Amino acid sequence: MNLKSRAAVFFAKTSHFILKNILHRGATSLPGKIALKIDPDLLRHLSDNLDVIIVSGTNGKTLTTALCVKVLKTAGYDVISNSSGSNMVQGIVNSLIMQKSSKKQVAVLEVDEANVAPVTESLTPKFFVLTNIFRDQMDRYGEIYTTYDKILAGIKNAPKATVITNGDSPIFQRAKPENLTVYYGFDHLNENKDLLAPTNTDGILSPTDHSILHYHFLTYANLGFYYSITDSFKRPKLNYAVTKIDQLTPKYSEFEIGSTRFKIEIGGLYNIYNALAAYSLAQEMGISANVVKETFEQNQQIFGRQESIDVDGKDVTIVLIKNPVGSNAVIDMMLTEKDPFSLVALLNANYADGIDTSWIWDADFEKLHQANIEAVLTGGERYKDIQVRLKMGGFEDQETVPDLKQIVEKIKTLPTKKVYVAATYTAMLQLREQLAKSGYIKGGF
Amino acid sequence: MTKEIKIAHLYGNIMNTYGDYGNIVALRYYAKKIGLDVIDEVVSLNDPLDPSKYDFMLFGGGQDYEEQVLAPDFQSKSKQMKEYIEDGGPMLAVCGGYQMLGKYFLMSNGERIEGIGALPHYTLNQESDRFIGDITIKNSETNETYHGFENHQGRTFLGDGEKPLGEVIDGHGNNGEDKTEGAIYHNVFCTYFHGPILTRNGNLAKRILEIILNRKNNEQDLIPELQKVAPEYF
Repeated sequence: MNLKSRAAVFFAKTSHFILKNILHRGATSLPGKIALKIDPDLLRHLSDNLDVIIVSGTNGKTLTTALCVKVLKTAGYDVISNSSGSNMVQGIVNSLIMQKSSKKQVAVLEVDEANVAPVTESLTPKFFVLTNIFRDQMDRYGEIYTTYDKILAGIKNAPKATVITNGDSPIFQRAKPENLTVYYGFDHLNENKDLLAPTNTDGILSPTDHSILHYHFLTYANLGFYYSITDSFKRPKLNYAVTKIDQLTPKYSEFEIGSTRFKIEIGGLYNIYNALAAYSLAQEMGISANVVKETFEQNQQIFGRQESIDVDGKDVTIVLIKNPVGSNAVIDMMLTEKDPFSLVALLNANYADGIDTSWIWDADFEKLHQANIEAVLTGGERYKDIQVRLKMGGFEDQETVPDLKQIVEKIKTLPTKKVYVAATYTAMLQLREQLAKSGYIKGGF
Repeated sequence: MTKEIKIAHLYGNIMNTYGDYGNIVALRYYAKKIGLDVIDEVVSLNDPLDPSKYDFMLFGGGQDYEEQVLAPDFQSKSKQMKEYIEDGGPMLAVCGGYQMLGKYFLMSNGERIEGIGALPHYTLNQESDRFIGDITIKNSETNETYHGFENHQGRTFLGDGEKPLGEVIDGHGNNGEDKTEGAIYHNVFCTYFHGPILTRNGNLAKRILEIILNRKNNEQDLIPELQKVAPEYF
């Protein structure tokens, strides 16, 4: 590093120290911002002597990143990473400054879709891991094809990198990078059906003949074994595939990849994709399936976002919802719950949540009538939006709690032991803060 | 047999980006309150369209690519659409659907796509900008106020014979210039509102449902019932 970079790092570390220890504020991007002001080339210098893996896509970035980090650590690598709250350039710079050592390290970076190109202008990753692309926060990103173009532009900056991508997602076949590309997906059903995606699914046109895609099977949303009826477009051959699903429950899933049986301590079929993405990266880096299996079964901590919290005897599971596809995946996960439960839906519309709440109407909450729901509670800064959504969806008997501070108390009075909280990003942070204050979550939120 | 309202959801499987399906959820909610079922059917690429089968049509918004793909198919349905509209068929067209009913629209890249010209408006584009944010409008004839969220690149200009859905109180509206938002022509309601408009504005949802009932045979007796239903707003 040159003198300018060193100065930038010094000021960033100092401001981080002041923010954290004197002002007691979270410091995820301000020090990075300061450092970039001093040295705009800092990202390039920070990534010297660093093998970089970039994880991007709409849903599943955070868990995929966490799983990749854990697997690499088990395999003996010195790994650094960033948190989901800092997946833009400044936050990434900040994470690198705080964790970089003089040793040879691997960085697994969760990068916001729109930030892939700015990041790869400065550093050259060895791998890209792409999860999926769905409509998300339309007020910010616009169309899914634009989002993919942004990621593609980032990949073009690193022609030597290997791209590990979701083969079940048709959008990744619209335009392909020149890079070496490997595909992961599902091959758990030996079926030759002729199906269509559910009506309210985006991205279902074949880019070759503009016809509506057909499917031999679907996993969720527009993911699955797709093909065009004119046969000009179909799913690529998979390099890594889930060959069997043994069990889906709200708390864990058991499945097989080839001859290895895996268990992940998190519910939801969509999370198997994240595990599969991490497995694919491991294989590409020469890490054995057993190391991956052991890592997944080692501890539950890696599945952070969906942990269960004990609130005076209530078994509370918090899940993030932020767009229709993610919400539908969460709803499907809830349908695997056999016991009666209460549903708490918390909606905010801050910048991080997306300022437009229209997406809640594309989430299939009506499906929840198939579950054994005994009580519904709505809240968050946009409690009225979610209240009307669920009311019109047939959940007329619900209580609404505009003040999030009271939600924890209300949860204690719900009629069931099991409680599922579906919350948008900032609503989830606010709730976790309340739970931490009351001592239900240890070690901050 | 329960009485029902049949909805044609035009291109519902490809024009479904912005939550516009919620308009059907809202109509179903109010219809159920007066004992009516709502059946919605997607009428999409290469599907035949028989307007006489339907009491209402919804045509929502989507992405440029899908809108471009459906344009030629919609031309092939132009005759049926115009007959339905001129016959007083009730319809809600949002964003891309609104644009397709007009003469033509320019995509964000400037490419011109022909609409069916059932309504006299046309739509220009904007250089790399969008109208995004909360919006409030007022209809001077009914004195009703509507709230929503707009998110559109197109700038629409109304033609002779159509009225705006409302005057802009707060927000951009059709084009950011003339303070109009949306359009009304016969029983066709057009808007750029997502939100969706019928979920957030119970007054408009009930107004449209009343039009649907009036046009159906033997359902007018439900109108007093409908008037008793509490409208939802947020």
